[in-house]
Amino acid sequence: MTLRLHPFTALTAAACTAVITTAAASWPLSVAVGLASAVLAVRRGVAGRVLSAAAVILVPLFLSLLVLHGLFFPEGHTVLAAWGPARVTAEGLRFALELGTRTAACVLVFLLFSFTVSVPDLVSALSARRIPPQFGFVLASTLTLLPAVAGRLERIRQAQETRGMVIRGGLWSRAGALRLQMIPLVLALMDDAGSRAQALEARGFGSPGPRTSYRDVADPPAQRLFRAAAFVLAAAAVAARLVVSWPAGGPS
Amino acid sequence: MTAATRTALRARIDAFTFHGESRPALRDVTLSVTPGSLTAVLGGSGSGKSTLGKLLAAWLRAGPAGEFRGSLELDGTRLDFHGAPDDPRINPAEWSRRVAFVPQDAASMLSTVRATVAEELAFGLELRATPRADMLRAVERTAARTGLSGLLDRDPATLSGGELRRLAVGCAVIAEPDMLILDEPMASLDAAGSARIEELIRGLCATGTGVVLLSQAADRLAGEAMHWTVLDAGTVTAAGVPAQLIGSAALEHAGVLVPGVLRPEAAAVPGQAPAPPAAPGPGPARLEPGLELRGVGFGYSQDQRRGTGPRQRVLRDVDLAVRPGEIIAVTGPNGAGKSTLLRHFNGLLRPTEGDVQVCGRSIAGVPVGTVAASVGLLFQHPRDQLFERTVLREAAFGLRQLFGKAEAEDRARAALAGVGLSAAAGAVHPAELSASQQRLLALATVLAREPAVLALDEPTVGLDRHGLERLGRAVEAAAARGTAVVMVTHDLSYARATAHRILELDGGCLREL
Repeated sequence: MTLRLHPFTALTAAACTAVITTAAASWPLSVAVGLASAVLAVRRGVAGRVLSAAAVILVPLFLSLLVLHGLFFPEGHTVLAAWGPARVTAEGLRFALELGTRTAACVLVFLLFSFTVSVPDLVSALSARRIPPQFGFVLASTLTLLPAVAGRLERIRQAQETRGMVIRGGLWSRAGALRLQMIPLVLALMDDAGSRAQALEARGFGSPGPRTSYRDVADPPAQRLFRAAAFVLAAAAVAARLVVSWPAGGPS
Repeated sequence: MTAATRTALRARIDAFTFHGESRPALRDVTLSVTPGSLTAVLGGSGSGKSTLGKLLAAWLRAGPAGEFRGSLELDGTRLDFHGAPDDPRINPAEWSRRVAFVPQDAASMLSTVRATVAEELAFGLELRATPRADMLRAVERTAARTGLSGLLDRDPATLSGGELRRLAVGCAVIAEPDMLILDEPMASLDAAGSARIEELIRGLCATGTGVVLLSQAADRLAGEAMHWTVLDAGTVTAAGVPAQLIGSAALEHAGVLVPGVLRPEAAAVPGQAPAPPAAPGPGPARLEPGLELRGVGFGYSQDQRRGTGPRQRVLRDVDLAVRPGEIIAVTGPNGAGKSTLLRHFNGLLRPTEGDVQVCGRSIAGVPVGTVAASVGLLFQHPRDQLFERTVLREAAFGLRQLFGKAEAEDRARAALAGVGLSAAAGAVHPAELSASQQRLLALATVLAREPAVLALDEPTVGLDRHGLERLGRAVEAAAARGTAVVMVTHDLSYARATAHRILELDGGCLREL
């Protein structure tokens, strides 16, 4: 049986890893964290989704870092190549690499968390901590909205195809089809929301007062200890970073 | 609490008018529900049953939803409404503890944020801060009552239509309300599912819950009601005990289905299958099948969201040939894969083994939109089929490519006329239609294309008598034109009255009944 992480443990692990990686500011560590996240994503069977989402975020970021710091890094003096005002400097590339790998590590860690966390567990854990249940519901709805929208879009597409709309593999064909699906999608979602709101109200969603949780999320002492340790470690990493990079001469 | 001390619900609706409408949706309706009684409100499509149910259950509230003149009395406390701003305001959460409602569209009852059936059942209890131990017991008890015990760990999104309805009923009764209002609770349920719901309702009545059944069929359960109220065009046209009203003109005019009365051909020869309505085309042996399935096998991935995991077999080695003009009915229990089978006809689903041929040609690799020129598919849920802004645009969608611009609108109008929706054509949004009219509109969109193969998924569900007659005429006319018709239905008597052959899908295989 695999270890079942309390959602707060996973969240703490992700957040502290991101903090420590940022504080350490060492690209080998960032690369290691990024690789570890990728390996974990593969083992949890979410590699495809994590990596494709990461690519959407990171590819434009890497390109902009390369242009900004790789080509135009004022502090750079080891010039590797130059085209007019643009100079590729070793320092600039190094800075872009540092920043790029650090951001990549943080993005991968948080994507891994969001794709592996059990949303019901998270909502239940939040409500157990007296977080307003509406907040938990909104959070859960946000995370379940995408599949719901995708499902609705799929049904509209099937309905349209069933009545003769031919969608071929090409990008233009798909984009054209999507244009025809947008208005029905928005109208259908609004219609759904209206009828669901009546049901939610009737089931007591709007009423104030305490709530209980049917789902029992185990939070073993070992995981609580781990969370405390992770917090201490992250705080230590931040403190160490502050001490190391404090301007010479110390605070006045 | 004994039955005598439990809540009684009385409603007097002088008029209820939705905002923006000039004509009241309900007028001069009175209804009284005593503890432990079963009351049936019968009426055809668009008669105002759902509006009445939602008004009684405070899903529609005076003020936000529309103008209400009349009174609601619960447990001796009467609330009077005059359509004025200072009218009493009902707290829907408090009201629904006493008066629960299960809508016709069971899925809209669910929170969508709960991962399992058990948690969905408990959702309303969580919001009322019920201790966890009590919730566990309530979930177990309700699951046993609604036949959901084996499904408690399932994701509600993966339930079949009948299972979903049982879950919605479970969510409504778990808090033990004094009154339960059920809007078409039997729609799309198989025989076993209906029997369970009937049993559940009887059990609820026996323990003192007053149950109001909103239905367009005077079926077996309605027959057990102590009192019938017939609703027609938003007003009560008859009320009394079933024995008085059965066969009455009011019931007939309202379009209420009375099993056995509707289908004279089925009733004429009791116990015998009626003769097929028309011979399935001349010289059937020489005719090429309109639709042919050869050794079709299919399975869904167990983890449908990711598309991974071992496949669960739904269809196994299915052979089927439907000749032009032939009407075939496919029956089978909920979740047997009947809808899955139909979705293979136009390529919405592709077989993992075997081949599907339409008009003698394999559809493998042919886009669904292209196959659609020959295959018309009526979805199980009409709302999944409708996406346009007006009824006319809906019926005309995709017709231009088939018939050209000039003819497309004429064909759309003709199809709408065929199902009695001409009046709604230009100005009405499909979502504003009643469930029965939505199904007829979906049918019109399919019929307008004059496909060679017509696949109908539960076409009778939600239709009143007028709707069923229109459906029957449309199917017969299509078959007479040489269309090969396959319909999936729970309604065995309808299948016997309409189809040339009846097949049963069970365990993934088709066999003749």
